[in-house]
Amino acid sequence: MRPVVRLVVPLLVTLASATAAQDARLERLAPETRAPVVGLIDSARSAGLPAEPLVQRALEGATKHAGGDLIMTALRRLAGDLGGAREALGGAASPAELSAGAAALRAGAPPSVLAELRRTRRQSLTVPLAVLTDLVASGVPADSAAAAVLALAARVRDPELVEFRHAVERDIALGASPGAAAWAGALAASSSLAPGAHGGQQLPPRKP
Amino acid sequence: MFEDRDDAVERVVRYLKRPAHIDPALDRRVMAEITRLPAPRGPRPFLLGWLTRRRVVSLSPLGALAAAAGLVVLAFVASEQYLGGLRGAQRAGAGQGIADAARVYPFVVLAPRATRVSLVGDFNDWDAARTPMRRVGEKSAVWTTVVPLAPGRYRYAFLADGARWLADPTAPLARDDEFGPPSSVLTVGGS
Repeated sequence: MRPVVRLVVPLLVTLASATAAQDARLERLAPETRAPVVGLIDSARSAGLPAEPLVQRALEGATKHAGGDLIMTALRRLAGDLGGAREALGGAASPAELSAGAAALRAGAPPSVLAELRRTRRQSLTVPLAVLTDLVASGVPADSAAAAVLALAARVRDPELVEFRHAVERDIALGASPGAAAWAGALAASSSLAPGAHGGQQLPPRKP
Repeated sequence: MFEDRDDAVERVVRYLKRPAHIDPALDRRVMAEITRLPAPRGPRPFLLGWLTRRRVVSLSPLGALAAAAGLVVLAFVASEQYLGGLRGAQRAGAGQGIADAARVYPFVVLAPRATRVSLVGDFNDWDAARTPMRRVGEKSAVWTTVVPLAPGRYRYAFLADGARWLADPTAPLARDDEFGPPSSVLTVGGS
């Protein structure tokens, strides 16, 4: 065998095995589930959707010993939500934004809120979308949560948004209704901004 | 004039047999020299010998280019593999780039009857072996760990004794929980 062949062949073999190992995490899935999951993830990747959230959801299902059908249903739903988020946020949305947007849509936020957030906030939308989702998960009505986040998103940074969410959760834990807690929290966050820090939407009047 | 031959031989033998006077410090000097010598090396193992034997390899320019290109691609794939492990933690911050420094977040759970508790989530591929939690005290029911996280939203849960799922009581529950056992959600703010 010529020396060059001796050098290149092992390199190519190593290269091929390394490439095949890229999705080795999915080997934790049952063999009969792995093939359709890999197919779905490849399709999503071909469509320009981020694969990592789908991989993580599949791994969550595997760790929780969910059946193959359940995992596939969850992945199809998530892929649909990721597609919806991309439609609402635009093609330039980052994988993290798409993932957070998909969760927001699943929580009940309308796509128009995602699009409006994209228009009003120049920074990443990952945290505002995550806060929106968490508020809805805490019991805040989707439209109230969307209004509060839209009002704050253009003017406050990520840590203030997270702090706003914590404040809402505290108020809910103390007995406030989720809607009122969100409204009060947004009001407090707005009033704590420096004078002249405008650019976002006005906080809507509190619903009775 | 000629002495007897047997006498001569006898004298030679006596001379050779005479006791030698050896310097008492000789032993010490010899041992000192021995300790200064390099340690003897055993025979090299076959594989090591094969690997370390020098060879002359002749390559054509095309072959050298192909080998170099192979090495570059291999290095790229290896780096992708390495970064893949970080993607779980960096996933949420990917849109803002790697420049987002991950912050360390503490996770705490109360599990009085557990003998071992793991933290699993989007940041560790839901792998129970990856992030074992530690008891705060010897007989304590409080388990804790810390994980570096980039800004974003993460789903996670605690797994006690490999079978019992616990949500984080201090965090919102994940709404899209299709698999039965509960998961919690953590939102990490950026700058």
